[in-house]
Amino acid sequence: MWGMACSPCPTPSCLETRISQVTSYIVRRTLYMLPLLVIVSLISFALIQLMPGDYLTRSRLNPDITQETFDEMAARYGLDKPFVTQYWLWLKGIVTRGDFGTSFETKLPVFFTLFMGNRLLWTLVITGSTMLITWLFAIPLGIYSATHQYKASDHTLTFFGFLGLSIPNFFFALVVLWILVALLRVGNYGLGIGGLFDNRFIDAPWSLAKLGNFLWHIWPAWLVIGTSGMAGLLRYMRGSLLDTLSLQYVQTARAKGLTERVVIYKHAVRNAINPLVSILGLTLPNLVAGSIVTAIILNLPTVGRAYFTALQMQDQYVIMGGLLFFSLFLLIGNLIADILLAWVDPRIRYD
Amino acid sequence: MTKRLTLGMLSLLLVFSTSAVVLAQGYETMPEDAKIVELGGEGYEDLEPGVRGGTFYISVFGSGPKKWNDVTSHETSTTRYTNTMFRGLMMLHPISGALVTDLAKSYEISEDGLEITFHLRRINWSDGTPFTADDVLFTYNDLIFNEDIETDSRDGLELPDGTFPVFEKVDDNTITVTMSMIFRPIFNQLTVNIMPKHKLAEFVHKLNPDVPAGTFNGVWGLDTDPAELVGLGPYIVESYEPDQQVVMRRNPYYYTYDQNGIQLPYCDKVIELIVASMDVELLKFRNGETYAWGCRASDVPILKREEAVKGFTVTIGSGVYGTLWFTVNQDYGLGEDDPAKDQLRELFRNIKFRQAISHAMDKQSIINNLYNGLATPQWSPVSTPSPFYAGRDSYGGPVTEVNAVTYEYDLETAAALLDEIGILDTDGDGIREFADGTPVEFELNTNAGNTLREGFCLIMQEDLTNIGLKVNFNPVDFNTLVTRLLGGTIYQAVVLGLTGGDEPHGGSNVYLTTGGLHFWHYSAAEEPYEYEKRIEELFDLGVGTWNNDEAFEYYKEYQRLYASQDLGMNFSVNQAYTYVCYNFVGNKEIISPVTSPTAVNSIARDLFFLKMD
Repeated sequence: MWGMACSPCPTPSCLETRISQVTSYIVRRTLYMLPLLVIVSLISFALIQLMPGDYLTRSRLNPDITQETFDEMAARYGLDKPFVTQYWLWLKGIVTRGDFGTSFETKLPVFFTLFMGNRLLWTLVITGSTMLITWLFAIPLGIYSATHQYKASDHTLTFFGFLGLSIPNFFFALVVLWILVALLRVGNYGLGIGGLFDNRFIDAPWSLAKLGNFLWHIWPAWLVIGTSGMAGLLRYMRGSLLDTLSLQYVQTARAKGLTERVVIYKHAVRNAINPLVSILGLTLPNLVAGSIVTAIILNLPTVGRAYFTALQMQDQYVIMGGLLFFSLFLLIGNLIADILLAWVDPRIRYD
Repeated sequence: MTKRLTLGMLSLLLVFSTSAVVLAQGYETMPEDAKIVELGGEGYEDLEPGVRGGTFYISVFGSGPKKWNDVTSHETSTTRYTNTMFRGLMMLHPISGALVTDLAKSYEISEDGLEITFHLRRINWSDGTPFTADDVLFTYNDLIFNEDIETDSRDGLELPDGTFPVFEKVDDNTITVTMSMIFRPIFNQLTVNIMPKHKLAEFVHKLNPDVPAGTFNGVWGLDTDPAELVGLGPYIVESYEPDQQVVMRRNPYYYTYDQNGIQLPYCDKVIELIVASMDVELLKFRNGETYAWGCRASDVPILKREEAVKGFTVTIGSGVYGTLWFTVNQDYGLGEDDPAKDQLRELFRNIKFRQAISHAMDKQSIINNLYNGLATPQWSPVSTPSPFYAGRDSYGGPVTEVNAVTYEYDLETAAALLDEIGILDTDGDGIREFADGTPVEFELNTNAGNTLREGFCLIMQEDLTNIGLKVNFNPVDFNTLVTRLLGGTIYQAVVLGLTGGDEPHGGSNVYLTTGGLHFWHYSAAEEPYEYEKRIEELFDLGVGTWNNDEAFEYYKEYQRLYASQDLGMNFSVNQAYTYVCYNFVGNKEIISPVTSPTAVNSIARDLFFLKMD
């Protein structure tokens, strides 16, 4: 941006100060994260303890297992110890050995259990592409809606936006799959539903056909998750742009005789987009934690789904690992949002 | 250019030749000890010999396997794979459910009944290593009886006197099992899967002190390269993609052949798609992506409509193992000295009260409303498919229900029973009162989110209101419910289900007063009623004989006694097994509730074949 007329820091020395400002700001914020994460972990650990029962409760009604075996397992898993001791041992493991605990179910390290296979990668691909598509649609539609305020098209957009927001994702996902199977009978064309690939591509190496098949399996996710996130963004963009359009500098721009196009895109939108940048940062954690229910119905391998399984099983250290990971993403998202905001809006300073 | 081409050809050749070596694995000729299945013959009447080849696709509900280790596995999402990869000395016949030999070729029981000699088949593990008596001894002595190892199989092998059977090697292909007493259900426990010693011994602390204690518990986890897995079953896991699928390929050394000398399994591969929603499983089946599915009763109408068009068949089988019941707590408020609670507990302890409940339970309405008509009334703690079910005429005989103890749905009889014990509606408000005028009112719990059990509760609530009892239905979280139930004196009434099996002794943890799940009357451990003492005796008699017909008589008396005098649980209905399968699948008749209560048979998968090209 520097070198442009509107840049806040036209000289190189000024830029250096700014960079060092940014660096110290980032370092400071990162340091703040540590105590925050400890507090988050303590609260989450306490919440897990407040849940009725524990990992072993689920199999209590199995007639084949005796009480002695249960006691033995409770001792093995450390579930017989008081909450504070359990938390302390867990924290000590992280600090001294970098050991975040083991899953009761798989007997493997918690992060392996959560990220196993290519879950993390798939999660980023699936939610990343969905977010991208949502934003690519929501911003222009928001601008359109604002510039056509109270017209029929504005109302229509708002209506469909809210419709997408109000249909529960699990239900919408099921409806989409049902339409494909029962009405369109895609099975007759050899097409599958849910998951990442059709049966015939499961074992096959990557090819163009396999990529195409992946797209066939991913579009319902774009549709279901995309429509639910669209309304909020669209309304934010619309509201923010309407606010900006009523400001005096926009009137000035119009008075100067600039075309409406330039007024809106060069002047108004550039300022109206600021609040959305904060939102972008805040939605970053959704990249890894979002759309659990949709992933379950559409059978997508996401970290959120693995985390949900751990919650159901009360696999407590996997839950803790997941919570820490998601919190870290949230904090990083916040930090990025703040930095971006300062970057797009020179009025904001790092102190 | 030519050089590059030649190089390419050469490497291709190399690849093909190595894969050819891999494919050539297996027995050169049928092993002498092969197990031969006469399809169409005795025990397999409805089946036919098939052809080899193809991939069988099915879906599996849930979150996928948790490990590949059979010994340390806890639940069916894992055992459905380990039961396919591994085999035991004995197995349940896939159709009749009777115990038959598997890895053991034959066995003899000594005259005093205390020693069983097993002759093992001379066959190979899937990597070509011979299977021997050492593998069996390793599995029982070093894994299952090893306190260092976490396993659910140990408890079942403990004899009533607290000792364990002793496994000893006679020669490479013969072992003996010696017991301190006759314990008939031991054969059920000998279905435990045998693990390969040559692959796993190094991870057992007892055999290899270099590894820390407990190492084995984490062995063959999901981080293991599937190429390391070695088994005796028809299929071995080849690859696993979390939340997507498990791919299993045929075991080249599988020891079962059909009568034409064709080595089983018929299909080259089985691919299980992991699906976390049953509604999506239904859609995937209808879309032709999976070939067989254990559908729910509620799916039957939709599937029936499509049967002809899509070329599949819905089959409604017999009952499944397991119980669904209503129970009142005969220990409610025990030791709290609260007169109101004492009064309610005394009522719950009155057999006439529990009989009144049985008469008021509208089982037909449960069957029609909750199961689409696909269920039958249940009265016994032993499930219908078991050969020991007292509704049969004899051990494994036809179900005629001549011995059944049932309570007809009859509100008048129920009301008369309540009148008889002095629980009357004195103020005419429709709710009966105790002698002191307090209305009879109690709370009914079940686990929230289980629509079937919630439906049953609502029907019960209505049924009991009809005879003047006020029931407050309150569904609670599963774990809360379990804690209350096992707490003994806290809950008032509960609706829940338990799993079951073919062996009545499997219920000893529930129906004996000393059982950890005797939750309707825990205090009976100290002060048992007469009928509870008799049930205890009958259980001891039932396991103390090798004669199944004799055992049947003991278990028949126990079931009748339970239904007439104990009634700790008021049983409701037994769900019929329903499944659906495309018509191009051969031998789909082996899909049986007897060996696979919840899903498409994992034991007899070797017999499926595909009729299409």
